[in-house]
Formats: sequence, C-alpha cells, structure tokens
Amino acid sequence: MACAVGASLLLAGCGGGADSGSDTGENALPGVDQYLNAPCPEAAVKPATDKEFTYWAMWTADEPQGKVLQKAFKCFQEKTGVKVNVQWLGRKAYTQNLVPALNTDAVPDLFDQDVSKVGAAIATPGGTQSVDDVFAMKVGEGDKTVKDVLSPSSYDFPQNKDREGHNFMVPYTVQSSAWWFNKDAAGDVQQPKTMDDLTALFDKAKADGKAAISQDGDIPFYNMYFFTQLAERYVGSGGLNKAAADKTGQLWKTDPGFLKAANETAKLPKYFIDGWDAAKFPQVQQRWADGDSRYLYVGTWAPSETREYLDKQGAGTKINYSSFQFPMPAGATHDTVEQMSIGFAVTKKAKHAEAAKAFIAYFLNKDILSGIPAVADNLVPRADLAVPDDLKQVKAAMDDPKKEHVLQYDGIDGIAGGKWQTDVFDPADTSLLKGELNPQQFVDQLAAKGADFWKNQS
Amino acid sequence: MATVTTTAARDRGARAAGAAHLRRKRRLFWPFAAPALVLYLAFLVLPTLATVVLSFTSWAGAGDTPKPNGVTNYTQMWASDSFQYAFRNTLVYVFLGGVGTFALAFLFTMVLRDMRGGKVVRAILFFPNIVAPVALGMFLGFVFKYQPGKQGLANYVLEHVGADAAKFLAPANVTGVVTASLIWASSGFYITILMAAVDRIPPYLYEDAELGGASPWQKFRNITLPMTWDVVGVAGVLWTINALKIFELVFVLAGPGTYAPPNQAWTLGVYVFDRTFGSNGTPDFGAACACAVAMIALVSILVVLLRRLMRRDAIQF
Repeated sequence: MACAVGASLLLAGCGGGADSGSDTGENALPGVDQYLNAPCPEAAVKPATDKEFTYWAMWTADEPQGKVLQKAFKCFQEKTGVKVNVQWLGRKAYTQNLVPALNTDAVPDLFDQDVSKVGAAIATPGGTQSVDDVFAMKVGEGDKTVKDVLSPSSYDFPQNKDREGHNFMVPYTVQSSAWWFNKDAAGDVQQPKTMDDLTALFDKAKADGKAAISQDGDIPFYNMYFFTQLAERYVGSGGLNKAAADKTGQLWKTDPGFLKAANETAKLPKYFIDGWDAAKFPQVQQRWADGDSRYLYVGTWAPSETREYLDKQGAGTKINYSSFQFPMPAGATHDTVEQMSIGFAVTKKAKHAEAAKAFIAYFLNKDILSGIPAVADNLVPRADLAVPDDLKQVKAAMDDPKKEHVLQYDGIDGIAGGKWQTDVFDPADTSLLKGELNPQQFVDQLAAKGADFWKNQS
Repeated sequence: MATVTTTAARDRGARAAGAAHLRRKRRLFWPFAAPALVLYLAFLVLPTLATVVLSFTSWAGAGDTPKPNGVTNYTQMWASDSFQYAFRNTLVYVFLGGVGTFALAFLFTMVLRDMRGGKVVRAILFFPNIVAPVALGMFLGFVFKYQPGKQGLANYVLEHVGADAAKFLAPANVTGVVTASLIWASSGFYITILMAAVDRIPPYLYEDAELGGASPWQKFRNITLPMTWDVVGVAGVLWTINALKIFELVFVLAGPGTYAPPNQAWTLGVYVFDRTFGSNGTPDFGAACACAVAMIALVSILVVLLRRLMRRDAIQF
C-alpha cells in the first residue's frame, strides 16, 4: 500500500532534483535537439565479459534526465555492445524498490540518488561496493580519467565513504540552493552583503505590493534551509553536524553561533507569503512562478521545476531566472556555499559491476554529460562544461575559491537514520518559523530534546 | 409386522446412508479446508509471527542481518515524540471519527427508513467510499487550499458567508480536517450496513409505534437500535480496524505526498511507513515491526473491549 502511494505520487517529488516533464514547450532550453542528435563519443573502457547490466533510475523516462540517460544507453550499446536494462522508478526507487530488494539476490547493478540518501539507506547497512576503481578509468577524452575531470569537492568528503573508507558514489550532477528571483520582475538584484541588505529587498517587494518570500511549509527539509544556511556561516562545515550528534545537546548552547543564527532566522518569517504554513507543495512555489511573490529559497531544481509548471499552464509566461546566496550575517566568520552531489552507485551484490562501472566512466565523457546542463538544466561536477544561464550565479558561488563548501544541511538530515531531524529539529524549526518559539527557546529546545533523543537511542 | 420390519429396515438403511454421508463429508473436509489453511498460514500467520520476532531485533531491512536487541525498539518507540503524536492522532481518529461516523449513520437510519427516494440517497451517500483514499486526499487538498484571492472551495464558501478563511492544512489543524473528511467519507459505508439491518425489522413494529405517537427518536431508541444491536457491534469492529490503519488520507493531505508529513500529523501507519520507506535516512524495519505489533495489540484490545461492551442477548424476531 505504502509503495503504491509513493509510486503514484512520485511525480510530486522534489529534493531529488529537477522534476518530470518534457522540455519541449516554449520554454525549452537551447541545444536540446542538438545534444540528442549529436554523434556518440568513443568509449575508452569496454567491459571484457559483461554483455548487459541493470540500472534502477531515480528519474522517469520522460524527464529531461531520463532523455539524457537514454541517449547515453544508446551510445554505450553502440560503442561497447553492452545493453542497459533500465527501470525508471523515480525518486524513491532507492528506498521503496532497492532497500527491500537488497534482502534478495535480485538487485540492480547500478542505481543513483544523492549522496546523503545513498549513504544513509544503502551504504550504512552495507549494500554498496567501492567505486574507487572508477576514478582511475578513462572517460574517452585522450588520457583523461574520471579523477581528472571531476571537481574533488563533488566526491571527496567523509559522507561519501563507506565503512572501509572507500568512495561509494561517483557524482554526475551537483546541486546547491539559493534565493531565486525573476529578473524581469525584480530587476537585476545584486548579491546582498548583509542581512539588512537582504531584508531591505524583502521590504521593497512588500512596498511593491508583492509577497516577499514563497515557502512550501509542508516540506520539513525546505523549512530547514533558513536556519541551517545561517548557522553554517557562523559555525562552518561540520559544526551543525557536531551539535546534532552531541549526546548532551549542550553544544547548541555553548557555541554562540547557533543562537545568533536563530536570531537571524527569526527575522525572515514575517516576509513569508500568507498561507505558507497551510500549504500543499507545490502550490506556494507555483505562486512564486505566477509572480505573487518575489523570492523563493530552494535548490537548483527551481528553474526546471517552475519552468515545467509554466509550460503546462501554457499562458506563455516566462521567467528570467537569477539567484543570489545568503549574505554573511553579522559576526559570521565562514563564507559557505552548500553542495549536494547526485551520482551513481554500484550494489554489493551486482552481477555486472564491470559493465556498470564502465558506463559510469562513459557517462562522464563531456559529450554525454553535457546533456545534464543542456537538456536537464542542472549543474555537473565538471568545471569545463557550459553552465545553464539560470544557474550561472549558483555556479559562480560554488566555484569561488574563497568559499567554504558544506554538504547540504551539513548532513544533519542523515543523523540517526533521519530520526534526529524528524523528532528533534523539525518541530523546533517549525515553531521558530511560526513565531511560537523565540530564538533562545529554540536553541534550548534543540539542546533539551537532543539530549533526550540521544539518551533514548543509546 | 411387515410394515414394522420395513420401517426398521428403512431406518437402518437411512442411518447407514447418513453415516456413510457423514463419513464422506469428513473425508472431504481436509481437501477443501487445506488450501485455504495453507494460504492463510503462509500469507498471514507466518508473516505476523515474523513481524513479532523481527520487532525484537535491530534490522535496517536493507540486506543486513537482524540482530536481537530485546525490547529496545519498543522503549525507543514509546519515548519518541513522533510515536506519541502518531499514537494520539490514531486514537483521535478511532474515537472521535467513530463517534462522528456512527452519530451520522444513526441520524440517517432514523430519517432514511420512511423517506421518499431513500434508496437513491443511500446510493449517493455510499459514493465517497468508492473513491480511493489517495485520490480523495488529493481532491480534498484542493478543497481546503488556503490562498488569498484563489481560495479552495471550503475557504471560498467561508469567505462568501462573511467568515475568515481558515488554514485547514496547517499541521496543527490537519488532524481535525482529516477526522471530518473521514466521517464524511466513511459514514456512507456504515449507513449502508445499518440500513440493511433496519430493512429486516418487521414494519408492523414501526406502524404500532406510529399509532402510539412515537417520535422518530423514540422509534430509533426503542425499535431500531435494539433490533440492529448485533450489526452495530460488527460495524463498530470494522470501524476500529479501518481507523487504526489510516494512512493514505493523512499522508496525502498533510504532506507533499512524497515524503512523510510533519510528525505532528502522523498516524501509526505513517510511523511504520516513515521507518521503512518514508524518511531520507536509514530504514529501520525493526522499529517499523515494533510499531506494527503495537497496532495489532491495539486493534485486539479495542475489539475485545468493544465486543464485551456490545454483548447482549440476541432478540428473536
């Protein structure tokens, strides 16, 4: 029953990246057909024995990512003779299909999701195998290997290591989050330098008779953005994670950064659109696309998701997408940018691991991977590929050498199998945003509930 | 004499035939019962036992081996806020929803019996039951939408009668909204069951009451209720079982439909889902089994209590 519900509603998903829909409407990106009809690049790695492998995809066949992958399958079969048996299962494939399958021998060779999800649900129980050998494979561009073409920050971090310390995922998409706005409506807004600059923008929106911020309040991990973004700037990469994992909960109180971040967070909800807290995703996001509000804080899937919605509306509305990052709040010392990698992993029981790994390397070839920005309007972990116009500002922030990279939410969504977030963080966070808790009470509640939680876990 | 022997012989013959028939019947018992028993054992009894066993283990359910951990799953579950919310909400659905549904059902049984076009009304009342709860949840999501200037049906009506629009889908209000939706959606089913029982009551009882000048309430109190008592009991058990496993309506109405809604709105079903496929974290099938066992225990207790409460001598008519 649960599976059926999940499966039937997969397309309402988010978080796992851009959503379904074809980019063939009036808002289609340039170069889609060009990419899909381009000749196939040569494969540098050809599996010796495998003639096929099985892949359970987090996308659906008609999504832009699905189209890119289908082109890659076709080319891979043409150049290596290996057939890809794909099942398009959608965002929850890794839990609803793969997790139960891991108890049997009928597992796919290849699957994909973001690194936090794969780490928590599949790698932690021991369902993945090392993909370290993939990094030495050639991608079909002379002597360049996977390691040569990927940005290290996209795969080289502790959350991408299994129990033996090997990488379990090879990224092909990177995501971040930002404040999104429509240049045609808001003007060419520059990156705000201080929180006052930011709230001034919101005040201006209100003065113009618009709501300032659209926020789908029924998705807990969307509500998480505000506090975590601000807290990361005070405590840096790993700081939030450490506090969340602190058995006594006292870290929330001893590090003054958390209270400061809560104070800054509390400045935002008064700008939220009326009805944000009684919302049903994606209604509020769509109100942003319709122009009811000026700003929206979500991940880099915002342009593709809202573009698809506008396409379906068919009113001919176009958004001139642009974005900026959170400014540094007063007294903050870490100029951070969040990053989340989505990529391929290979199951431990894979029968055709060789072919699956060869495909991963092939997919990172620039002529194949360029479909992710060109067709799916997403960023890739390669610095040398074109960036979609919508995401230029995000990409600049991610490539800025002065910025400190933090895993999305600093990985607190994966702590204690996700239970810490559900039991401790989300209720406190919702109350803070609704004004039911003041910043001091919010921090105190995180400390107290956190301590209770860990006492109960041990 | 002859007649006597013949009757005796006939009796003997009949007895022999009867005995043979019984023997044949006995011989046929197992071939007929075995398939059903095997299926029942394989698909219900054994999985239930496995659930109980697994609830005492630490098991992610993702290809790892279950490790016994005593009652840890139960103690952790009881101490978790999410479970407390889920437990409370589920009881709200069972009791408040139950009271509401049966109040509505009784009300209709009072009216429907001597109403013209009652059959048609009955059919209409049954409609919401045909729709899948998921679809119902999505539909109600639109009905209860809160968006100034573009309100959903419920708020549109509220605003047009001069009231303020309400934030129906806020996590704190969702339980109330789902309870009301549930009453609306399921009362038709129970009305149908109760009306089937009411139709069996001899009409002369009502005619007699009519002559005595009884009010509809008196008729209900003194004729309908006592005469349908056993059916009401069965309907109550059905309701309890159905209300305890509420999942889809809450899941779709309170959240985005892909991920579990905020834990304030959870039910035990959502808790089980979240511990298996629902969260973004590590699945915890051991904890999910513990919650499933708690659900089985809760159903058993409530049903036994209800049966005791409803026990009366059957009325012969």
